Amino acid sequence: MDLFDEDVGNISQPSPIALVEAKRERRQPRNQSKPASHEGNAKWLHAHYDPYSTLYTFSSCIALADLHGDGDNKLIIANLGTGKYDMKLKVYKGTTLMTENTIIDLPTAVCTFFMDTHDPRTPAVAVASGPYIYVYKNLRPYFKFTLPPLDVNPVEQDLWNQAKEDKIDVQVLKEMLESLRADGSEGTLTVRSLRFLMLDPEDMPTFANLHKHSPLKRQTVITCMTTLKKSHSEEDAISCLVIGTESKDIYILDPEAFTVLTKMVLPSVPVFLDVTGLYDVEFRIVVSCRNGNIYSLKKGSKAPKYSIELSSQPVGLQRMGKNVVVGCMDQTLQCYTTKGKRLWVLTLPANVMTMELMDYKSRGFKAIMVALDNCEVHVYNEKYLVNTIKTEDIVTGMKFGRFGREDGALVMTTKGGGLIVKILKRNSVFEEKDSRPGPPAAQNQKLNIPKKTKLFVDQTMRERENAVTMHRMFQRDLYRLRLDAARSYVKALETSMTPMSADPLEPLKLSATVNGIGPSFKLTVNLQNTSSATPSINLLITFQYDEKLYQLQRSSIKVPLLVPGLNYAFQTLVECISDKAIADTIKVFVLRKGKSMPIITGNINMPVSEAQVVV
Amino acid sequence: MMGTMRQDFGAAAMALVPRGMDPLYTALSLFRRRKFEDCVTVCTMLLEKNPYDQAAWTLKMRALTEQLYVDEVDVDEEGIAEMLMDDNAIAEVARPGTSLKKPGTSSGGPSPGVRPTSQSGRPLSGFVRPGTQGGRPGTMEQAIRTPRTAHTARPVTSASGRFVRLGTASMLSTPDGPFINLARLNFHKYAARQSLAKPLFEYIFHHENDVRNALELAALATEEAQFKDWWWKVQLAKCYYRLGLFRDAERQLKSALVQQVMVDTYLYLCKVYVRMDQPLTAIEVFSQGLEHFPGEVSLLTGIARIYDGLNDSTNAVKFYKEVLHHDNTHVEAIACIATHHFYTDQPEIALRFFRRLLQMGVYNSELFCNIGLCCFYAQQYDMTLNCFERAIALASDENMADIWYNIGHVALGIGDIALAYQCFKLALASNNDHAESYNNLGVLEWKKGRVEQARAFFQTAQMLAPIMFEPHYNFAALSEKMGDLQSSYIAARKSVESFPEHMDSNSLLKQLKDHFAML
Repeated sequence: MDLFDEDVGNISQPSPIALVEAKRERRQPRNQSKPASHEGNAKWLHAHYDPYSTLYTFSSCIALADLHGDGDNKLIIANLGTGKYDMKLKVYKGTTLMTENTIIDLPTAVCTFFMDTHDPRTPAVAVASGPYIYVYKNLRPYFKFTLPPLDVNPVEQDLWNQAKEDKIDVQVLKEMLESLRADGSEGTLTVRSLRFLMLDPEDMPTFANLHKHSPLKRQTVITCMTTLKKSHSEEDAISCLVIGTESKDIYILDPEAFTVLTKMVLPSVPVFLDVTGLYDVEFRIVVSCRNGNIYSLKKGSKAPKYSIELSSQPVGLQRMGKNVVVGCMDQTLQCYTTKGKRLWVLTLPANVMTMELMDYKSRGFKAIMVALDNCEVHVYNEKYLVNTIKTEDIVTGMKFGRFGREDGALVMTTKGGGLIVKILKRNSVFEEKDSRPGPPAAQNQKLNIPKKTKLFVDQTMRERENAVTMHRMFQRDLYRLRLDAARSYVKALETSMTPMSADPLEPLKLSATVNGIGPSFKLTVNLQNTSSATPSINLLITFQYDEKLYQLQRSSIKVPLLVPGLNYAFQTLVECISDKAIADTIKVFVLRKGKSMPIITGNINMPVSEAQVVV
Repeated sequence: MMGTMRQDFGAAAMALVPRGMDPLYTALSLFRRRKFEDCVTVCTMLLEKNPYDQAAWTLKMRALTEQLYVDEVDVDEEGIAEMLMDDNAIAEVARPGTSLKKPGTSSGGPSPGVRPTSQSGRPLSGFVRPGTQGGRPGTMEQAIRTPRTAHTARPVTSASGRFVRLGTASMLSTPDGPFINLARLNFHKYAARQSLAKPLFEYIFHHENDVRNALELAALATEEAQFKDWWWKVQLAKCYYRLGLFRDAERQLKSALVQQVMVDTYLYLCKVYVRMDQPLTAIEVFSQGLEHFPGEVSLLTGIARIYDGLNDSTNAVKFYKEVLHHDNTHVEAIACIATHHFYTDQPEIALRFFRRLLQMGVYNSELFCNIGLCCFYAQQYDMTLNCFERAIALASDENMADIWYNIGHVALGIGDIALAYQCFKLALASNNDHAESYNNLGVLEWKKGRVEQARAFFQTAQMLAPIMFEPHYNFAALSEKMGDLQSSYIAARKSVESFPEHMDSNSLLKQLKDHFAML
C-alpha cells in the first residue's frame, strides 16, 4: 500500500522532516510560502495534508503519545476501516506510518496510559473494541481485558437449555424469544438471541444447532473510554481506565491487575466521558448519555447526583475548568456548570461534527475546538470565537497535543479519509475578545458626544433662576408670533399666494421651473390635482409679467381635465427683451373660468438672462 | 443720463474746478477722493482742450477703470460651460479627499442628517460666497435647471455675461462712442512706455473687458521689460486664466513669484489650482505664501475655504480660528465658526459668535434668524422669538422663505403643529421652490393622514431638490405604507444615493429587497 507516501500538490513530502521543516518555517514566518491563504493560517502552520490516507475514525479513536520514551510523540489512530474489515491500529511517526496492528472488532476508543512505574516511561495503548480492551505495550499485544459478564435472563437461559436438550424446536424457540423481546426486555437479551432473531427462517436451525451447545453468556459493549490518574497527577503517573458500557455502567479499572475498582450505574447508556481528579483522592466524572442528559458522578457515589437535561442530543462534550461545554445536534454550543446551571448558549453556523479541548500548556491557553460540517474548525475561548480554521474537508476527528517534537499540533481526520496536521505558531496570540457573536464591539464604543461647555452650564443656571420670567416672555412672544403668522397666512390665502390651494374644493398644487440660459427661457408649470378622486375642470393658466422685460409665447393656457394624482406640465417660451441684465418675477395664476380670483399663484424668480452673443 | 451730462458738460466741469486751481490737480484730487465721475468729467474737459495730454488721458483711463474695478482674486464663479466642458480634468475618478468635485469622498465630513446641505449637496456654509451655493452639478440638465433665481443664477461662462454684468460699461452704449478705440491703438508704441501701458492694460482688461487685446498688450509689454517685470507676468496670467489656459497662467504666476513675492500673486496662483481641481496643491501654495507673509489673513482664509470645500470642517474651523487670531473682525471667519458650532451641537457657543457679529455692526435678517435659532436650541427662550420678529422685519423677499422655514422648525420644536404648518406654507408663498418646506409640509400632512397631499408634496420636493435625501426617503416610506413598492424602491435608491449612510433608507431598501426576493 503506497497510500501513505503520496505527494499531494505542493504540500511537503510526508516524512518526519516535514514537521521539523515546519518548525523552522515557524521561526521565520516571513520566508514561508503558504500553501493556501486560509483564515486560520494567521495562527496555524499548515504541516501536512494527505486526502488519501483512507482513515475512517473519530476523535475518541485518536491519541498522541510518546510510545518509545524518546521524546518523539507518535500518532495512534484506531481505524474503523470499512466497519466490517480492515480495522487497524495505526501508529504514525511524524507523518509516515510506522506500524499497523489488526483489530478484530470495531474499535470504539483509544487511550494511552501508564500502567506501571518501570523505566523507560513508555505508555501502554488501550483499544476498546466490543466487550474487550486490548492493551498494547511497545506496540505489541500485551493483555486482553474482558468486561465481566452480565446476568442472563433466566427465561432466556431456560429456553436455550431446552433447545440444547431438543425439548423445543427452533420455531418455538423463535416465538418464545420474540415474545420475550416484545416484553420490553430486549436490552437484556444476549447477543446470541438477538442475532438468532435477525436471521432468515431457513438459517435459524443451522444457527441454533451450531451455538446451542456453548454456554449462554451475556456480554456488553464498551461505548466510551478515558483515563483517570490514580494517585499522582504527574504527566507520567499511573492511570486507571474509565469505561462506559452499553449496559449503562461505568467501570473504573485498576491498571496493574485489571480488576474493576469501582462500578457505577447510570440511567442511560453513556456516550461521552470526561474525568477530572485523582482516583485515590477525589474525582468527578461527567457523562453525557444517549437519552440527552448529562450526569455528574463523584467518588463514592454509586449513582449520579446531578443531571443536566439538554434540548438536543449531544455531539461532543468537553470540560473547561469547572464548566462543561456541550455541542448539540441543534447547532448550538452550550455551557453548564457541573451543578447543571446553564451559563451560555451559542448558535453555530453549521452542525457540530466533533469537539476537542485545546490545552496549550506552554501558554496556559485553554479553548474548545469545534469542528463544523461547513469545513471549518472554530476555536472558542469561553463563549468567544477566537479563531477559525478552514479545512479542505469536513473534519470528523480531532486531537490537539504534542506530536513529534511539536507541542501545539492539531491532528484532524476528515470525512473523506484525509489526514491534516496543523501546527500552532508559537507567536500566535488569541484575542480574548469576541470576534463575532455576542453584542457588537460598536456597543462598547464611546460616542463622540460634544462636552457641555461652561457657557452652557452658565446659561442653564440663568434658565433655572429666571424660569418664570423666561417662560412668560416666551409665551407672550409666541402669541404675538402666532398672530403675525396667522395674519400673513390669511394675507397669503386671500391673495392666493401659496402654490397650493387652500380651498378644499380645488385641491391643486403648482410648481414651476425655468429652463434655459437666456434670452429665451422655457417656463414649465406643473399642475397636480391632489384630491383623491375628484377631477379638476375648467381651469386656465395665465401670467403676470413686466411687458418691458419679457415676452411670452402663450400668455394664457387652457388646462384640460386634471386626473387626480398625475402631474401635468404646461410649457411656454419666455423671451427676455431687455439688454439691461436685470431680472424680474413672473407670476403664474391658475384661474377658474368665469372667476376673477385666482385659485393659486406661483412666483417665479426669473434668472438673469445671458446677453445675446453676436458672432 | 450721459446725454444730458454732455450738454452742460463744460459748465459741470468748470463747476468742479475751483477758481484758480489747476484742473489736472483738481482731477487728481477728485480721483484720490474716489469721485471718479467728476474726475472723468474734468479729464474729458482737459482732453477736449488738448487731446494729447497724456496725464489727463491716463487719469481718465484710471478713473474709468476704478469705477468698474473688481477684485479679480475674490470674484470667481465657474460658468456652466467651464464646469461641464472642462478639458483640463486630470482624473475622472479622483482619490478621496483630493478633489473639490467630489467633496463627499473625503472622510470626516458632517453627515447630511445633521448638517443640511445646500441645493448642490454641499454642507451649508456659514458664509455665502461665490461657489458655496452652487457646487458642481453633474449634468447639463441639472446645471441649467437647478434653482435659477436671480441671486443664485450661474453664468453660462465666466468669459462673457457675468463679467460684463460685474463691470458693466463696455456693452452699454455710450453716445459719443468709446473713449479709446482699441482697434486703432498701436500696442507696440504703448508697450514701450510702461507708465502708459499699465493703466491702459487695466482699462482694456477691466473696462473694455477685451481679454484678447489685453493679452496682446501684456505680451508686448513684458517683452519690452525683458521679462523682468513681475507685474506684467501677473497680468498675463490673469489674461490666460480668463481664456482658460490654466497651465500658462500657472507658469507666469510662478515666474512672477520668483521675482517678487506678493500676496496677490499667491492668491491668484491658488485660484488657478482650485480651478484645475488641485485643492491640496493650492493649500501647499497658500502655506508657502504664509512663510513669506506670516499671519496674512487672506491666505489663511483661502486655506480655510478650500478645507470647507473639501468638507473637512475640522481643518476649516482650525484655519478660521487662526484668521480670527490675526483679524478679530473677520466676518466670514466668525460666521463659519459659528455655523460649525451650531451644527456640532454647541449652539450656546455659536450664539456667542453671532452676538459678536451683531456687536460688530452686522445687522441683517440672516443674523437675527441665526441668533434666534441658537437661542432656541441653547434654551434661552426669552430671546428666541424676539429675534425672529426682527428677522422678519428686516427680511427681503429673498430670505423671507428661509426665515419662515426656521420659525416653522421652532414651532415643531414646541409642538405647535398648526403654527408649523402655517410657517412652512408661508415659506412656500415667498419662495415657490423651497424644497425643504415642501418636504416638511409633506410630513405634517402625512401625520394628519392626508396621504395623497403628502405624496404630492414629497414628489415636488424630490423634483425641486434631487440632492436632498429626506424627500426621497419620506416618499419611499409613504409609498411602502401605501403598497406601491416599486415607487418606494426607486425613491429609496435615490435616497441612498444622496446619503449612502442613511440607516433608515438602507433598512427600508433591504426590507423591500427581501420582499421582492420572496415568492
